[in-house]
Amino acid sequence: MSSFPYYGPADIDALNAQAVTLLKLFKAKGYDRQEPSVLQPAALFLDRSGEEIRRRTFTLTDPSGSDLALRPDLTIPIAKRVVESEPHFPARISYNGPVFRHESKGGKPVQFFQAGVELFGEPDKAKGDAEILTLAVEALRAAGCTDFTIRMGDLGLFGALVDALQLPAHWRSRLKRHFWRAGYVETLLDRIGHGDETSRLPQDEKDIAALLEAQGDAPLAGRTRAEVITRARAEAAEVLKLDGNVAGAITRLLDISAPIAQALTDIRALLKTAGINLDAGLAAVEARVALLQKLGVDRIEFNAHFGRSMEYYTGFVFELRSKDGVELAGGGRYDNLLELLGAFAPVTAVGCAIHTERLLATVKGAA
Amino acid sequence: MSKPKETKLVIAIPSKGRLKEACGEWFAARGVVLEQEAGSRGYRARFAGMPQIEVMLLSASEIANALLAGDVHLGITGEDLLREAAPELEGRLYLAAPMGFGFADVVVAVSRAWIDVSTMADLDDVCAAFAATHKKRLRVATKYAELTRGWFARNGIADYRIVPSAGATEGAPAAGTAEVIVDITTTGATLRDNGLKILDDGVILKSQATLAASLRGAVWDEDARAACKALFATLGLEAEFKALSALL
Repeated sequence: MSSFPYYGPADIDALNAQAVTLLKLFKAKGYDRQEPSVLQPAALFLDRSGEEIRRRTFTLTDPSGSDLALRPDLTIPIAKRVVESEPHFPARISYNGPVFRHESKGGKPVQFFQAGVELFGEPDKAKGDAEILTLAVEALRAAGCTDFTIRMGDLGLFGALVDALQLPAHWRSRLKRHFWRAGYVETLLDRIGHGDETSRLPQDEKDIAALLEAQGDAPLAGRTRAEVITRARAEAAEVLKLDGNVAGAITRLLDISAPIAQALTDIRALLKTAGINLDAGLAAVEARVALLQKLGVDRIEFNAHFGRSMEYYTGFVFELRSKDGVELAGGGRYDNLLELLGAFAPVTAVGCAIHTERLLATVKGAA
Repeated sequence: MSKPKETKLVIAIPSKGRLKEACGEWFAARGVVLEQEAGSRGYRARFAGMPQIEVMLLSASEIANALLAGDVHLGITGEDLLREAAPELEGRLYLAAPMGFGFADVVVAVSRAWIDVSTMADLDDVCAAFAATHKKRLRVATKYAELTRGWFARNGIADYRIVPSAGATEGAPAAGTAEVIVDITTTGATLRDNGLKILDDGVILKSQATLAASLRGAVWDEDARAACKALFATLGLEAEFKALSALL
């Protein structure tokens, strides 16, 4: 696919026809189309999305000096709109349009079309996950693609696993933040296992306050005095020790990447070794598998560390691939994004985006 | 740049200040005398007795760009500037020799008032907490955006944003324009004066002046290679010339 695609009459007609098919399906399921502008205020992506999205986002300055961005996805502008317009929940929104992303390696497209759906404020998460997953499968089939595999993961499963460990809260959040990084969690677990994370801070609260006073006029740099002291106390108080068996089990669990039946067997065995119960989390995975089998999708792979190609996913994640391994659609749960965008209360969110040009090419190739 | 019929080997060296002086001394110590060219307004020089080599005097940051563009064959500038200009050096530049001067560390520094922060892992916690509490990303002021991105990514930190800094980066935390900085330091005195401290594992790069070769764009024909071989032999860099040849 070219970085600067030029769509001839046949190409654009085919792409439009496919979009009509997809949007019609989405509408029949209650998802009305919305269209955010291509140009967005840069801060929307830069302040809240972090450096990964920033480095992929095209930014420009308008003649008055304001910073703008070409949308790298439609999820963030749509979520922002939901925060501002406070619709009746659950809210169902679909979209179709070009997005713009710089890829640092390989020189992949700077512009491509995406069609997708977002489901906001569905309190029953299992129901929401199932709805989006079903819709993604139906969308590919409606477009004429029947031969695909699914890869899935669950960030919530790892979260539940970490929550079951006897560790200080900030260590748990550290592990959750980094679970997707190859090698990082293993290193952290190793350090905890050896107990060499001893604090250099004084234990006593008064001594901590005195230490801060002793820094003279060094700036607090955006944090409050209370934030610094609270975290310093937590650091000073912690005693880190983790059973070697448990650390080893988690490390091996992160390595699991196998057909779903094998993966579930392996996970259960590892959890048993570590003496951790995750029945609720595994039941959720099994429910999705049952749903997929009912839909006639049986080539399912589970990948324990899959799930953060975009930064905001928090739970169930999935990817539909063509038989040649081309990623056609991807999605998942991102329950924190709306709060990051200014919502006053948590709003559940789950969605899916389809790479429509790849889908079209796959369907054409198979024909 | 227009090339004369016989390709000359073009080497860029810093045009002013301590770096220029140190370069002159480095070459002199190896028997190569740098002479200013008359009437060139200080943009050109030559090595005495080496007419096949053209010496250009450029600013240190221009040298990194000239090397990457292939406008010059060789150049001397700080490794920090080279790595910032080309985050993926491989295939673009060959770092032939560290030169033993122009030392400076590119470091991550935070306020000393952050008594709970002494490592990148601590900073990662604070970045995540800051995003959750303040609903915006912690800002890192720097003129080393690429080095910062790479380093933060290697340390697994995603919840931050870079604020480009043109100068006086060390003042950003006190001025309230950023919470953290990535900057260059030699003794750490300027950082200390501004109430900042370097994180224990916050040294991104120990930089020094470096002789580098352009691998892409520069025309390495027979003349240029022969001139380079002779120069490197005089400088005692035979092994480095071999390594460079293998890459061309």
